Amino acid sequence: MKKILIIDDEKDFTQMVKLNLESTGGYKVFIENQAVNAVETIRVIEPDLILLDVIMPGREGPDILFDLKANEVYKGIPVVFLTATVTPDEVDEQEGVIGGHEFLAKPAKLQDLISCIERHLTV
Amino acid sequence: METSTTKKILQVLIVENNQVDIRMLTRLLSKSTYGSFQTETADSLKGAFEQLSRGSFQVILLDLNLQDSSGLETLRKFTAAFPEIAIVVNTGAYEDDLGLQAVTCGAQDYLIKGKYESYGLSKALYYAIQRKRAEQDLQAAYRRLKETQSQLIQVEKMNVVGGLASGIAHEVKNPLATILYGVEFMYTKIENPDEEIRFALQSIKDAANKANDIIKDLLDFASLSKLKTRPEDITGIIEHALTLTKHQCDKNNIKVIQDFSSGLPRVMIDKNRIEQVVVDVVINAILAMGKGGVLTVKADCEDLSIEDYKKIVQEEEVLKPGDKVLVVEITDTGGGIPPDVMHKIYDPFFTTRRAAGGVGLGLSVARAIMKSHHGWLSIGNLPGKGARARMVFRIHDRSRQ
Repeated sequence: MKKILIIDDEKDFTQMVKLNLESTGGYKVFIENQAVNAVETIRVIEPDLILLDVIMPGREGPDILFDLKANEVYKGIPVVFLTATVTPDEVDEQEGVIGGHEFLAKPAKLQDLISCIERHLTV
Repeated sequence: METSTTKKILQVLIVENNQVDIRMLTRLLSKSTYGSFQTETADSLKGAFEQLSRGSFQVILLDLNLQDSSGLETLRKFTAAFPEIAIVVNTGAYEDDLGLQAVTCGAQDYLIKGKYESYGLSKALYYAIQRKRAEQDLQAAYRRLKETQSQLIQVEKMNVVGGLASGIAHEVKNPLATILYGVEFMYTKIENPDEEIRFALQSIKDAANKANDIIKDLLDFASLSKLKTRPEDITGIIEHALTLTKHQCDKNNIKVIQDFSSGLPRVMIDKNRIEQVVVDVVINAILAMGKGGVLTVKADCEDLSIEDYKKIVQEEEVLKPGDKVLVVEITDTGGGIPPDVMHKIYDPFFTTRRAAGGVGLGLSVARAIMKSHHGWLSIGNLPGKGARARMVFRIHDRSRQ
C-alpha cells in the first residue's frame, strides 16, 4: 500500500483527505499539521508521495520542498502542492504545473486528486 | 445710459390678475430705454402654463395671487413646472418676509407694484435672467461633482472588494474543500442511501459549490490587473458567448438577432474576460424577458461621444472624444430596470434576484472588467420597452504596436 503524507495546517481538511483516500483501499495516509515538523516527519514516514500546502504558520510549503530537494535520500519523492493560493483557472491554464511544480487548487475534485496521485506514483 | 439696441429682445410673460396692472406693465416695458421686450399676458396659472409650454419665454413677471392659485404656492408651482425660466415676483403688498421667502423659493427678484419705474423694472428683468443662468451653472456644476463623487465611491468600493478578495478566498476555500471531501466520503460510506440522505448530501454539495463560485467571482476583481490582452475579433467572442447562452434562450423562447458590421477592427482585450461580460449581460437580458422576447446584439464602430467620454474613468487619457471606438449593444424586450434600483445595479452584492439565488456580482464584475480594458459598460432603459447594455471598446491600433 502506498504511503501518502499530507502536510497542511488545516486539521479538518487533512482528516477528510485521509478518510477519502484510505476508503479507496489503495493508500495509507499520514498527516502533519505542524509545518515546522514536516522534514522530520518525512524522514520517519518515508512517504511515496507528499501533498503539500503553501501558506502555513511557521514554515511555508516551498521552504519544505527546498529542503527536500537538497536531500539525496528524499529528493526523488513526488510532491504535489494542494493549495488555496491558486485558482483552478490558473492551474488549468498552465496544465497543472506552476514554476516546475505540480499544483492542485483547493477545492480540487476528489477524482482529480486521486488521478494526480496515481499519475505520480506510476512514474 | 445704455440703449436698447445693444441688448437682445427679452420674451416676457406677464402673469397678472388685474387688467390695469397688465396695461401699466406692458406700457412701462414698451417704452423702456434700458432694453427691448416682447410681452404676452396670462391672468391665471392654467393659462400661464399653457402659454409657457408653447412659447419660448425667458422671464416671467409673476403676481402671486391669481384666480386659481395664491401666495408662495404659486411661485413653487411655476419653478417646479418651468425650472429653466427666470421669475420676477411682482406683488402689490409689501412684506419683507414674503420677499425673502420668494427669493429662497427660487424667484430671482421681488418687486413691489408702484415702487418702480420703467428703467428699474427693465433692469430687474435682464438681471433676473443672468441670475437664473448663474444658478443653473452652479446646479450643473454641483450635479457633475455629485456624479464624480459617486463614481469615486464606486471605484473605492471595487478596490476594497478587490483587496479583501484574495484574503477571503484563501480562508474560505479550506473549509469548502473540507465540506466537499466530507460529502464525497459520505457517498462512499453510506451504502444504499435513502432519498432523504441523498437529497441532504446533494444540497450540501451544491451549497459548497455555489460558495466556491462566489469566491471565484470575488477573485475576478482581485486579478483584474492581470489581464492577458491580445488583438481579438469581437464578433467571434460574441458568437461564442451566445452559444453558451443558447440553451437558455431556446428554453425561454427568446429569438436572437445578430447585427455585426462587416470589417470591424480588432480590439485589444482579454478574450475570456470579455466573453464573461457578454454572457453576464445576456443572462441578465434573458432573465428580464422571462418567457419570450427578442435579444438583439449589434456591433459597430462609432466616434466616441462626449457623453461616453465623460463616463469613462481614465487614469491616463487613453481615449479622447471623437476617437473611433467599437460599440457592442445588447438590447432586450423585457420589462426594463425599475428606476428606483437603477443607481445600484453595479454595486457589488446588489441583486433583485436574491431569492432565486442571485449573488449580485455579475454586473459589478462586468463593469470592472470593461474599465480595466479602458472601456465602459452602461445599461439603461429604452423608451417604451426593454433595456440596452452598451459596451464601449478601444480599438487596437496597429500603428502603435
